[in-house]
Amino acid sequence: MKILLSIISKILPAKIAYAHCDIPCGIYDPHAAQVGAHTVIRMTQLLSELKREGETKAEHDISRITHVKEDHGSLIEDELGTLENDYFKEEHFTKFPELKELIANAVKLSIKTRQAIDMASAEQLLETILKISEIFYKTKNLVPVRVKSPYPTEREIVVYK
Amino acid sequence: MLLLSRFKILGHSMEPTLKQNQTVIASSIPYFFMKPKVGDIVILQRERCIIKRISKISGDNFFVQGDNKASTDSRDFGWINKKEIIGKVILNFKNL
Repeated sequence: MKILLSIISKILPAKIAYAHCDIPCGIYDPHAAQVGAHTVIRMTQLLSELKREGETKAEHDISRITHVKEDHGSLIEDELGTLENDYFKEEHFTKFPELKELIANAVKLSIKTRQAIDMASAEQLLETILKISEIFYKTKNLVPVRVKSPYPTEREIVVYK
Repeated sequence: MLLLSRFKILGHSMEPTLKQNQTVIASSIPYFFMKPKVGDIVILQRERCIIKRISKISGDNFFVQGDNKASTDSRDFGWINKKEIIGKVILNFKNL
């Protein structure tokens, strides 16, 4: 079955089918994606710093940290999907022509950070999500501001005035 | 017209049947032999490809809805024409 699925995925490149959904609740926020990106960086740091003092403990810790990294990568992709499909409208993509590519790149980087222990991609992922967040706040006629986060990653988050 | 295409779902309007990031295979071949019917999950070509389920039919016009009650669909954008249906979902995979 796996071989069949692999063949299908190679023969038929995936297109996107939009399953648009909007109650509309109107509650959208890039904050969760930012927290997800910080978490991916932190988990990548922890995996890089992990000491193999006890084999079983190390395997246990690697499993748990990797699991959290996976979960937050998935959360980022879901949050970006919601912003892209339910919040951002054609007028936003017209006003900010880089937006579509930023979202596509963020999803690719998220997948990359899940596939490997890759700090460079994790940092690029955060930077891309910060840029998307800045655009998001601009579409709300708010002024985005980058501030140092209170997280152990010691990197920035985007808030608004 | 899609002989055979693979689509990745973006959005939540077809939940719980189809979840975001799930993959489906769609084809126009079934509609060479039969008309679209109520219950079919179809790919529509509008400004972009969207996926919905046919819930009512009137001649060549179709009322499509998402399986999720919060879906944006024919209740918002009205009936769609048969020409907009480019394929029927014939298979879905969770991990492809």
